[in-house]
Amino acid sequence: MDIVVPDLGEVGKVQLVRWLVGLGDRVQTGDAVAEVEADKAVFVVEAPGTGSVDQILVGAGEFTRPGETIARLRSR
Amino acid sequence: MSPFLYVDLGRVRYGLALKLQRHLHRLRRDGRIPDTVLALEHDPVITIGRGGIAAHILAPPETLAPFGVEIVAIERGGDVTYHGPGQLVLYPILDLRGRGKDLHRYVADLEEIMIRIARSLGVEAGRRRGFPGVWHERGKLGAVGIHVRDWVTMHGLALNVDLDPDGFQWIIPCGIAGAKAVSIADTLDRPVSMGEVWVAARVAVSDVLGGEISPAGEEVVAAWMSESLAG
Repeated sequence: MDIVVPDLGEVGKVQLVRWLVGLGDRVQTGDAVAEVEADKAVFVVEAPGTGSVDQILVGAGEFTRPGETIARLRSR
Repeated sequence: MSPFLYVDLGRVRYGLALKLQRHLHRLRRDGRIPDTVLALEHDPVITIGRGGIAAHILAPPETLAPFGVEIVAIERGGDVTYHGPGQLVLYPILDLRGRGKDLHRYVADLEEIMIRIARSLGVEAGRRRGFPGVWHERGKLGAVGIHVRDWVTMHGLALNVDLDPDGFQWIIPCGIAGAKAVSIADTLDRPVSMGEVWVAARVAVSDVLGGEISPAGEEVVAAWMSESLAG
């Protein structure tokens, strides 16, 4: 299952400020997994489902965009 | 637009206001309170946002200690900033799901609130592309820094009304080297009382965010305070 930066409105690129979970961590729907920042606004990205963090595709400090996948969950 | 609560808190220690904000943010996410705007001033404090680094605090601890200046790392966006008496701070706790779910527009709304307050006092201020906040030709007049979870906002804006400029010499404001902080009083070359600003702020918030303001009762605010401290 993909963890995607949500549509944030008229926002272009965002910086991934920090990961709140690491590879292998178990998460549940709605858990805070990462923070992204645009225009001095920090937005908390939440887990879309339950599973373990299988892949992190965008590192802390890197830039990404709404709609892009930043990590993948593996559900059991 | 539905009515929202507006609370003039006066001067509040940063740590207490932070606990109150976090408590109200939780209540708003749970749908237990309507949209709420807190208006206040802080005792001197330096805060570091998620985009900030401690190196942007220039003053050593021994310089800050006599002034009782705390340093607090928090969850808002942006870099290092200073808050102190004579600065208007607004913390809107809003559910943006009812307001178009647009972070860019929300930041623009906060800037617009500051532009309108400044204008009502006779000061023309505007935006600078790529540098969120509100600027006068002589420097930065106001800053924004927000945190959003579940589309509910916290933190907000700080507008320099009439404050001791020394506080900004302790830091590199917003991490922008050479950016000078100015106040409405500096630009008008006269003292400006916070009393003039409390009223202007209420009007600007109502006009920009839309909806009718209803004041929060004293007993409601007292209950929030004690719950915040207990939590």
